[in-house]
Amino acid sequence: MKKQLHITVNGELRQALVEPYYSLLDTLRDELHMTGTKKGCDEGDCGACTVILNGKPVCSCLVLAHAAHDGEVTTIEGVANGQELHPVQKAFVEHGGLQCGYCTPGIILSTVGFLESGEEPTEENIKHALGGNLCRCTGYTKVIESVMVAVKATGTGTE
Amino acid sequence: MADFQTIGQSHIRVDALDKVTGKATYAGDVYLPGMLMCKLLVSTHSHASITSIDTSEAEALPGVRAVITGKDYPDARFGSGALKDRRVMAVDEVFYIGEPIAAVAADDEITALEAVKLIKVEYQDIENVVDPLEAISGRSTDIHPDLEQFEGYGFALGGNNCTMLDADRGDVDQGFRDSDVIVEETYHTQPISQGFLEPMACVADVEANGRLDIYASTQGPYQVRAQLASVLDMPIGNIKVTAMEMGGGFGAKLRLALEAFPALLAIKTGRPVKLVNTREEAFTLNGPRLETNIYLKTGVTKEGKIMAREARSIFDVGAYLGAGPNAGVGHGLGAYKIPNFKLRSYGVYTNKIYVGSYRASGVADMTFATESHTDVIAHKLGMDPMEFRAKNALSEGDTAVNGSTIPQNGLMETLDALKERMGLPKKLPSSEKEARGIGISVGEWRSGSGPSTASISVNEDGTVSLLTGSVDISGSDTSLAQIAAEALGLRLDQVVVAKRNTDMAPFTGPSGGSRIVYSQGRAVQNAAEDAKAKLLELAADRLGVPADALECSGGSVYVQDNPPQSMELGQLGRMSLSSRGGPIIGTASLSSLPFAPVFNAQGAEVVVDKETGQVKVTRFVQAQDIGKAINPMGVEGQLEGGAVQGIGRALSEEILIDKETGEVRNPSLATYLMPLSVDLPEIENILVEVPSAAGPFGARAVAESPGFGPPAAIANAIYDAVGVRIKTLPLSAERVLAAMQGRTEDEYTVDAEELRAAEAP
Repeated sequence: MKKQLHITVNGELRQALVEPYYSLLDTLRDELHMTGTKKGCDEGDCGACTVILNGKPVCSCLVLAHAAHDGEVTTIEGVANGQELHPVQKAFVEHGGLQCGYCTPGIILSTVGFLESGEEPTEENIKHALGGNLCRCTGYTKVIESVMVAVKATGTGTE
Repeated sequence: MADFQTIGQSHIRVDALDKVTGKATYAGDVYLPGMLMCKLLVSTHSHASITSIDTSEAEALPGVRAVITGKDYPDARFGSGALKDRRVMAVDEVFYIGEPIAAVAADDEITALEAVKLIKVEYQDIENVVDPLEAISGRSTDIHPDLEQFEGYGFALGGNNCTMLDADRGDVDQGFRDSDVIVEETYHTQPISQGFLEPMACVADVEANGRLDIYASTQGPYQVRAQLASVLDMPIGNIKVTAMEMGGGFGAKLRLALEAFPALLAIKTGRPVKLVNTREEAFTLNGPRLETNIYLKTGVTKEGKIMAREARSIFDVGAYLGAGPNAGVGHGLGAYKIPNFKLRSYGVYTNKIYVGSYRASGVADMTFATESHTDVIAHKLGMDPMEFRAKNALSEGDTAVNGSTIPQNGLMETLDALKERMGLPKKLPSSEKEARGIGISVGEWRSGSGPSTASISVNEDGTVSLLTGSVDISGSDTSLAQIAAEALGLRLDQVVVAKRNTDMAPFTGPSGGSRIVYSQGRAVQNAAEDAKAKLLELAADRLGVPADALECSGGSVYVQDNPPQSMELGQLGRMSLSSRGGPIIGTASLSSLPFAPVFNAQGAEVVVDKETGQVKVTRFVQAQDIGKAINPMGVEGQLEGGAVQGIGRALSEEILIDKETGEVRNPSLATYLMPLSVDLPEIENILVEVPSAAGPFGARAVAESPGFGPPAAIANAIYDAVGVRIKTLPLSAERVLAAMQGRTEDEYTVDAEELRAAEAP
């Protein structure tokens, strides 16, 4: 039986009638028609569906929608500030951190989550933070380079 | 050569903003009003006749709008190449576990899944064959006994050998007699997945006039259109294919994949139908690569000159010939001058999912064998592996295996660049627990050709609109726009790249084989030059000077000797609307370009854990002759991505196939192990630029070659580190450890005699 779901997505309160077995990912895509979040495996292995839920990056395919009831979600559609790109988005654009773009939303949200986590942004920590994000196109060299640029741009780890 | 304004500089991809903001629209992101969801029923038997299919319960389930089986399609077979051996859906027999048998369209996905479970299929098992060497031996059952009646059947042994290729030159027997050292070996490569992140997806709709409207995830919209037309028995003109943004293809999405299922359901229901593969289906429903067994025999003089090569490769193609074994012949020699050779390559049916294409299908398998073999020979001769390669390297004027004359190329430059960057030859220090080694290999490819078209129209504000039919799979739209901008003297942001479909854009070949920038790029350059000539003509008329006194750059056409005497492009664009010639449009069309080889030399440094056999790549360097880097950032990205796919192939990736049933046993990204950022070093690139004769601004192909070398470079590095030679992929820890403990045989080791027995009787 469908149940009422209240969820704040990118700062907007959204409501939907959602089946209890629906994942947060399917809810975002099928019910709210926010298709920026991608489905690569639906099993938590690829990271393409990563969103930030209540401050932490999660695989939205592994979260039941109703488990996020009353929660706050940031998706790729909400990373930029209007027309102004987030420094992470800007770094990926300028440093070739994307190719086909399918893993990109998830990688950008993992990166944003990592930069907000307060962890020391060493190359090793960055690689571990992205350890759940598969990319088949880039070979990761330019992904890591883009993250390092975003680290500098946001001043993360310097205070 | 003139200074370039746009090419040769790194540019932000034209699609980058859409992709970092979630606006890029992939096939699975298409939601149409009234859209139904499709699910498939697939075979659970390896080889069986279907005695009955009962869909009545499924059809009666509320919410189900249509159920189709193989009998609902016209009685037609299709193929990836000449041989038409495959039906879009099983009719009375199944040939592998996972073969589609029925499809359901329902109001939602859950209902479609429930309906699939209600379909009852009765099977009667038939003897199967899973091992390709058994399949070609003549001792097993014939999977398609009517093979020789299939349209397009050509040169092969028959039985389960559906296709064969050969190439011979000189006198191999004499070549071996003239040799001082003969090395004879076999190699085995594993089944592998293309690993695209976006599972296949398609939305099909029917217009009121009956035309099919297909939104696809494809590298080849015109190929999908033609193959759909043949399996649905519809005119090509009644099908429109829109290639959506594509989340990785690497060859897997070159041809008709799942589009025929939602297409027929859309026709039956009159409603849009969507089918999105699960990750499991990405492994089991659309052709991956299967195993290859390769036999090599090479004779060399003691001075290190290669005299003769015999190569025989057996490509397991699964139940249908989804991609041919061409690499077995085309890449049997590597980058070397070999005067006498005899090359044979066989495609063999087995009861497994059919093979698809993957980043120059089979070339990585061949390169693992030939470049490991090259190292073995060098060591046997006591020669440095780099020196041995350089001594036998192909050079301008030699004859390639395909009979073409080798034109100017950068092979020696790539070898020299790699040698210098890595400081070769060198020995890396090992410790008690860890051994270090270094290995090299060379990959070779050719710049892809094939039908290419482009048109460029000049807008009223002086911008231009570029229309091509090619799908952007690798940043190629950005490179094509740069080529147009360069040829017209514009900035990149003055070139609008049209989003297109098969109704709108002229025919072009698929985005595969590293052909877009080379071949399509040439068409764009020609179209831009055509538009430029028309601009100059119009300006000449207006300025009262001959057209050849004019130049076009910086957004205007000006008199070369008197630049202030000029007209802006926008002015010309507006003026053209009422000019004698009409609005300015430049077009170009071509079908082939000259042979332009591509060489990529790679070096890997590895550390081998002596206790576990675990191998880690600690440094990876590659030098590729790319002719001219149109967009260096894009070129590097292609090289890095290709190399990492090769590293995955070398160390961890393997589709596990059940030996009894041929079933894929690990259809998930948790068990099919693709490299993650934590597994990898930074990939170092050296861009060598020896221009091609015909590519745009001298460019050569980029994307295929970097994936070939890693398995051999890493195997050669393991040999350098611990003195063991692994001839089976992947180079897993258990395999390396077993070899270090003296166990060199494993279940995949193939006897040379067995492979030779595959020769035609």
